[in-house]
Amino acid sequence: MPPAIETADLRKEYGDLRALDGLELTVEEGEFFGLLGPNGAGKTTFINVLVGLVRKTGGEARVFGNDVEADYRRVRDAIGLAPQEFNVDRFFPIREVLIHKAGYHGIPTDEAAERADEALKRVGIYDKREERFDWLSGGMKRRLLLARALVTDPDLLILDEPTAGVDVQLRRDLWELVTELNEEGTTVLLTTHYIEEAERLCDRVAIVNEGRKIAVATPEELKRRGTDTVSVALEPTPATAPALGPYAHGSALSGGRLDVRVDDGSRIAPQLLRDLEADGYEITDLEISRTSLEEVFVELTGRDDRTVTRSTAEERSNEESTAERGQPEGVV
Amino acid sequence: MWTVGSRALFRRELLRFLRRPKNTFMPPAITNVLYFAVFGVILGGRIDEIAGFEYILFILPGLIVLGTISNAFENASFSIFHGRWNEYIHETLTSPLSYAEMIAAYVGASAVRGLIVGLIIAAVGRLFVPISVANAAFLVATMVVIAALFAGLGIVGGLLARDFDDLTVMNQFVLRPLVFFGAVFYSLTILPTTWQYVSLLNPMVYMVDGVRYGLLGYSDFLELAPAAYAEIVPLASLAVLATLTALVVALDVYLFKIGFGLSD
Repeated sequence: MPPAIETADLRKEYGDLRALDGLELTVEEGEFFGLLGPNGAGKTTFINVLVGLVRKTGGEARVFGNDVEADYRRVRDAIGLAPQEFNVDRFFPIREVLIHKAGYHGIPTDEAAERADEALKRVGIYDKREERFDWLSGGMKRRLLLARALVTDPDLLILDEPTAGVDVQLRRDLWELVTELNEEGTTVLLTTHYIEEAERLCDRVAIVNEGRKIAVATPEELKRRGTDTVSVALEPTPATAPALGPYAHGSALSGGRLDVRVDDGSRIAPQLLRDLEADGYEITDLEISRTSLEEVFVELTGRDDRTVTRSTAEERSNEESTAERGQPEGVV
Repeated sequence: MWTVGSRALFRRELLRFLRRPKNTFMPPAITNVLYFAVFGVILGGRIDEIAGFEYILFILPGLIVLGTISNAFENASFSIFHGRWNEYIHETLTSPLSYAEMIAAYVGASAVRGLIVGLIIAAVGRLFVPISVANAAFLVATMVVIAALFAGLGIVGGLLARDFDDLTVMNQFVLRPLVFFGAVFYSLTILPTTWQYVSLLNPMVYMVDGVRYGLLGYSDFLELAPAAYAEIVPLASLAVLATLTALVVALDVYLFKIGFGLSD
């Protein structure tokens, strides 16, 4: 089977701005794949190239082996997209919106109605089926976007910041639902600002920045790429940091403890302890701090971007997320 | 072309205006009652017959054309622009519908709205004056063609518009003046020769004349054209309008294909 998504040298330019700068990505069928990057990294542009809302400037993009431009109908039929923006038909009750969407995908009206009911039940807003979009709460709107993506029974589900600005309960519900869908065989592409989300859900994560791929690996592998810190309390307390072997990328004395940066804390710790004991110190306490994905992200992208955070969703105000959604496509 | 997908979009487009008769059908009905009352009854009573027809009957085809094309245009341009404005046109654009299927649905539904308004205006006219259709097949063909033509132009308008004011400008400052100088309220035969020729540059003249020919059996062109060509003039007008409609619809499909006003 061809990969769910395969891009080569994918480029999108807006004048001098390179939103996608030779992006190469492969997402295998059945994967739960995360796309992590700060605002302006090119995540939404990438998604929009796949679904036809952005025309690529160069390179190739295929979905299940189909070219996104030459075979656009097959590509779009395979994709269910829950976008960042609330781009829902305001004229009709939400059940009808879903029936129409299923209809555009060639599903006859009766079956489309059944699917609409099923999708609304699955995301938990069936009792709101006769409401119009504008009357739904923020959380329900997010659920509806997911229902709309599901109503066509897609092989590839794309979720663009699905939990931006939603409360904890909804975030967990959405996580549970998309995990379930992935287990049922749906390939999932998730873009997120929340590193915790990527760590928790994704089989593999790509870190993108300025339209380029910085790294692709499992969250665990990525974390291994960062440095760990081994912190030891010594007796007697040294006046200066003792000399250590080449495994130490740096060391510092802080509050009576010696902090040593190493590649793999648990592997290096015994060696470090032996060396310190050989120097005549007694080890009274030991702590190993693993690198967080967030720290790896900062190291790889060279920026401590406040939009990429481990903090929980509820800490982000609705205004913030609204402002993000309001950004022109050209700079996303 | 007329697949489950395009039928779904066609249905959605129809329901959008059918469920809002107060916004879509009441205004042209009321406006035309006023037109008929003022121009037909109050003023028309003081105007002699034109080309052998009561004035109220003479202006009926033009009012039908005005209502049909402005509603077909307005519906298509609004639907496309509103969808762009609120981005819900993405629901269509990210679907597997072909661009031709999308245009068939948008143009078809907007043309239907124009034709319904045309029927409403004819019905209002019937309240004021008896009507008998002279050439039904020709009338239907002309009405369908011009409704589709302006639905197609409405799509171009909806793609070009940058805000809602642009839509108003197109309808009020382009369409209406052309229709009013399109021999709705007068016969070309009463104009000086120079103005008759100038009028021939106005595409609306052909539409109004075609509908008048279909409805009343009278055409200014039949009067003005050399006798040898007179019989083919209405059909030639219809053929040109049909060709123009096909070109505009092809342009719509092309604009969707290149994502004009729709994608970055």
